[in-house]
Amino acid sequence: MIVALMVLSLVQTPAGFDHPKHAKLFPSCTSCHAGAEPGAATISLWPDPSSCASCHDGTIQKQVSWTPPAAPRRSNLRFDHQAHARGKGGATTTKPVSCASCHTEAGAPRMAVHPPVAGRCLDCHGIRTVHLAAPDSACVTCHLSLARAVTLTRSDVAGFPAPASHDDPRWPTREGHGAVARSTLGTNCATCHAREFCYQCHAGGSPPGAITVLASDPRSTALVAHRVPTSHGANFADRHGAVAAASTMRCASCHVRNDCLECHRMTAANAPGYHPTGFLARHPAAAYARETSCSDCHSERSFCAACHEQSGLVATRNLRTSYHDARQSFSAGHGGAARQSLESCVSCHTESDCLPCHSAQGGRRFNPHGPGFDAERMRRKNFEMCTVCHGAAVP
Amino acid sequence: MRWLCACVLLAAPGTIAAQGYRLRLDSRFQSVAFRGLQLDSILASATVPGPNGGPETPDGYAVNCEAGDAYCTYFRAGRRRVGAPLVTTADATAWGFGLRGLSAHATARLGVDLSSDKVWPGVEPAAQLVAGYLEFAAERVTARAGRQILASRLGTTGFDGGAVTWRLPRQKVDLSGYAGWGLARGVALPVTSPALNPLDDFQPVKRQIVAGLEGGWSPTLGDVRVFYQREVDPRSDYFVSERIAFSGAVRPRVGWSVAGGAEYDMAAGWWGSADLSVAYATRVVAATVEARRYRPHFDLWTIWGAFSPVPYRSLRGNVSARPWRRVALHARGEVYRFDPAEASTPLVSYETDGWRAELGATVEPAHGWTIDAGYHREFGPGSASVGTGASVTYAPTPKAHLTLYGSSLDRPLEFRFSESVLKTFGLDGMAEINDRLKLSLGAIHYSEDRQRPDAAAFDWDQWRITAGFVVLFARGGELENLPPAIRRMPGGRNAR
Repeated sequence: MIVALMVLSLVQTPAGFDHPKHAKLFPSCTSCHAGAEPGAATISLWPDPSSCASCHDGTIQKQVSWTPPAAPRRSNLRFDHQAHARGKGGATTTKPVSCASCHTEAGAPRMAVHPPVAGRCLDCHGIRTVHLAAPDSACVTCHLSLARAVTLTRSDVAGFPAPASHDDPRWPTREGHGAVARSTLGTNCATCHAREFCYQCHAGGSPPGAITVLASDPRSTALVAHRVPTSHGANFADRHGAVAAASTMRCASCHVRNDCLECHRMTAANAPGYHPTGFLARHPAAAYARETSCSDCHSERSFCAACHEQSGLVATRNLRTSYHDARQSFSAGHGGAARQSLESCVSCHTESDCLPCHSAQGGRRFNPHGPGFDAERMRRKNFEMCTVCHGAAVP
Repeated sequence: MRWLCACVLLAAPGTIAAQGYRLRLDSRFQSVAFRGLQLDSILASATVPGPNGGPETPDGYAVNCEAGDAYCTYFRAGRRRVGAPLVTTADATAWGFGLRGLSAHATARLGVDLSSDKVWPGVEPAAQLVAGYLEFAAERVTARAGRQILASRLGTTGFDGGAVTWRLPRQKVDLSGYAGWGLARGVALPVTSPALNPLDDFQPVKRQIVAGLEGGWSPTLGDVRVFYQREVDPRSDYFVSERIAFSGAVRPRVGWSVAGGAEYDMAAGWWGSADLSVAYATRVVAATVEARRYRPHFDLWTIWGAFSPVPYRSLRGNVSARPWRRVALHARGEVYRFDPAEASTPLVSYETDGWRAELGATVEPAHGWTIDAGYHREFGPGSASVGTGASVTYAPTPKAHLTLYGSSLDRPLEFRFSESVLKTFGLDGMAEINDRLKLSLGAIHYSEDRQRPDAAAFDWDQWRITAGFVVLFARGGELENLPPAIRRMPGGRNAR
């Protein structure tokens, strides 16, 4: 039963005045819609309910209860019935426009009316495209700017359809919407947008001039401008450096400093997208020779070593070459590899692993100091570090 | 004094309560699996000859036997362990305390492993305060007090203390100074934290005192910055580090830039990392050529600096182009070579140079559809990898997307017989329910084939499931009008 009721509710036509049924009663449209007649005293397009009651009085015809809407229809159309009826609607013709021109199909009976569709407007105004493919400069022909369309609600604005031009991959860029906005100083953009909409992205630097000529209207943020430029494709996080270095202001058009800091600081939890997908699996090659400075964001001890230990990559003080089994005698000949990738060594080994051989106080006393080591300076800057291996007898 | 405090609190209750706030919670849950290695040993007399002549365990694990030792060691497959980390990051900002420009900021991280295995790293301590400070920002001065993290040419520096920035807008000069008790590098914990226990006997008993200065001049054609930072162990008054750095950039023409910088380690007495790059970008092409040098930095409470880490020098470049409207191509490459390590290791050979390369393409065949594909290959000391990856994303609206991806990776190591071939495929989805709630869900399958000539070639196939949400709590009349770039990051407007 419920399903049947739902189906019925879907197929029922909306309640409304049956124009064809009344065709023989009314010689002209303006006899009821007086506001559409040039020079009419009223601008209301709705009939006077008392005129309905002259027939629908309960005797001649059954009574009807209808009152015209108190509020004007929510719309951003700038259509003026009287101006069009006088032939001053701005179309390609200056002849008066009849009601049938817009409200009935060609060849249809006089009262077979329907609400006009945008295509009819475009035909008369010489715009030979479908509605949303019309040039951006054509919007103002029929539409008020958003700031002037005061009857529209925020949800109405959210339902605005996007013109086809906005689908162009280049639309989010300076060469796309930026060029249109500059060439028209935003006047056509104003049909759907206001300053607040632009500020959703243009937050970083000085706003472009075309934005400042737009009116302010908070309803405009009902349209969300989250589309990312297509230049921000795969691995853009890795590649954006060149663009950022060479065209800083371009980035600043949409980004603020903290957008950069989301990744370029150690709150890695805020930057899950910094590394490409699957980086965990391929990180050894990037980490061994430090493609970037890992330790700026990751602690070797709490981040790298903690995970390596869980994977069993834990060193013992009695070092064996069991793990580095691709090189026999690795523990005896690891020096060169270690000096090259010391940060990688530290991600599994602690100082205690090295001291049995490299301490000057015991063990094998292998000297770990290599190129660039300035003993006197190190001793001056942090004598305690020297004592770890040398004890109090630092040479 | 107590009476004075009480009077202040009673007299100005309206100024204590914040007029506006943002609280952003980013929570992620994962189901992951580990299957690592387990160190084991066997009596040398119990080993058997393997097919290649080397000793093995009777069940096929290659073993390492040191001459004269009774035992041989080897790594067998560890048991499969499951982790279920739930990590939540909270960003909070509050303002409107009655003083224009005054705000409070906090970023905290809560991490717990819900599994019984407790394998997920980095969840001790469970709650970590990444940043928490009061900020006063005016046109010429910004002052902060509390836990903060500074990002500079010297890397990231975390400390509990104060920082002041003074700006001279007309001269385009800014000067900053900061000081406080430092945090360990790369983590929001002091070096005295038990969570950094692997430091063993050499763990400092007191936090280092960090202080630094930074100055910058930003004329129209570029900018120049100079940095100085020192860290001192208050127990011994010895240096933990002392470094100076500079960086600069020149933008002679639209689209062109030359940038560079270098660091000098005053404690070790050597030059650290440095770079010089030339970049060019138009709407069709962006390219960079960069010469750089990388040398790791170690604090002096470790002994690693005395082991003389050697730098490498590299030349790298990348180029991105958009030859057609819906097609973008990119490529990058790098070659590098380490300075001589001056270590005599006749028994062990090792690589001293390497290279990396990557090619990729992004295509938008139709509105809402994006196809990415890439190929990368790298070879160098320690490890190499070669792989391909591709993804297809469908984003019917800006507020939702679904991505299907897959990849193949061959990952040989230099010092271990472990050439694994890893294949993955997965699905990621995101939906922004409204301005204050975003949900994400993903699943990825790992299929790994470890190519070793012994029983340690175990597989590690698994599914990983990820789920997360971002929720924003806020109060403040202008919230609806805030740009998303600012809404994403509390404090963004202040940082402009």
